[in-house]
Amino acid sequence: MNAQEITSFKDKVIASSKTTKTIKTDFVQYKHLDFLADDVKTWGKMVFKAPNLVKWEYTNPYQYSIIFKEDQLLINDGGTKSKVEIGNSKLFQKLNQLIVSSVKGDMFNDSDFKVTFLKTDKYNKVVFIPKDKKIGAYIASFELLFNKEDAQVFEVKMIEPSQDFTRIIFSNRVLNNTVDDAVFSN
Amino acid sequence: MRFLAISTLCCTVVLTSCSLKTTEGLREIPFLEKEVENPYFANPKIDYVYKAKIDVYGKNFGGILIVKKIEPAIHRVVFTTEFGSKLFDFQYEGNSFTKNFIIEDLDRKFIVNVLKDDFKLLINKSAEVVSLYESETQNVFKTKTESGFNFYFIGRDSKQLDKIINTSKTKEKVEVDFSFSSDSPSNIADEIVIKHINIKLKIDLQKFKEN
Repeated sequence: MNAQEITSFKDKVIASSKTTKTIKTDFVQYKHLDFLADDVKTWGKMVFKAPNLVKWEYTNPYQYSIIFKEDQLLINDGGTKSKVEIGNSKLFQKLNQLIVSSVKGDMFNDSDFKVTFLKTDKYNKVVFIPKDKKIGAYIASFELLFNKEDAQVFEVKMIEPSQDFTRIIFSNRVLNNTVDDAVFSN
Repeated sequence: MRFLAISTLCCTVVLTSCSLKTTEGLREIPFLEKEVENPYFANPKIDYVYKAKIDVYGKNFGGILIVKKIEPAIHRVVFTTEFGSKLFDFQYEGNSFTKNFIIEDLDRKFIVNVLKDDFKLLINKSAEVVSLYESETQNVFKTKTESGFNFYFIGRDSKQLDKIINTSKTKEKVEVDFSFSSDSPSNIADEIVIKHINIKLKIDLQKFKEN
């Protein structure tokens, strides 16, 4: 993308993000490890409510949900419930913030990353490379694919230093329907 | 007389401390098999993927365990979070072990050794039999390890490996139970439970089944 394209793309994402109060979407996650015959596939649903409530729920092949709520993670692992305080782990905070921000796509001003803008036929692609070495030990880069039309995130890809990666593709996205706060309790 | 009493006492102590609960009530029988086989995680064409639940001293963690035999003598064992982030990546080749990756929080000698030994127990293909016991339903093969023994419990009718118990010379340390459903493909356990006896650690593994 050239400078003008970057500006107009950013504006579109930020505008769309500002009007997005809730998101409900299905997703499929592919875990790629170079030595496997097939990627490990899991399916689920994600619910977002502005400004920063996220419920990430795997429904197939197992039941597992994680709610990002302030400084806590509320986990329900097939009926086993637990709570993790993330307040004192900077790395964890950063990783969680990435997940929340990537849902909306509005994370271009994050000074912790070197950001590159690219375009393909169908999508705009933004690549984030962590500046912090500690984060870099876990994530080599973080890629978001945006639909050109509505500036919504279509795919998230987290690439590890080993080049193994996790790819999450969203589908059936519904914006701004009512989402009850009770969704975000365990 | 006093000498006899002391020696009897000593003998009793020695014998008691040497006897493992594992073989209590079992009858030792002669054996022909030189080796006992562990059929799990042995097919290089299969990606073995399990949902893992770990309970360590009352704290719960989840993740995904991925095991693959990548070459005749090499296994990769990778554990990730549900989101796919790698927590550790181990490689086993015969008796050599390589830590390809582990997150800082888990990279403690004690934790690595426990994990290394637990997964080694799962993937170890065969071991030399030193004695054989029988119960009403199972044959129990005793094999030697560096610091103790492994006992392989094989159903006499099903011929399936149901359980492995790892012991020191005197005490049970880890018990691994394999269970199956009627539609399980052969040699793939639906559920595997690794239970430590001397530390409060339990790892429950459920085979991925797409609905």
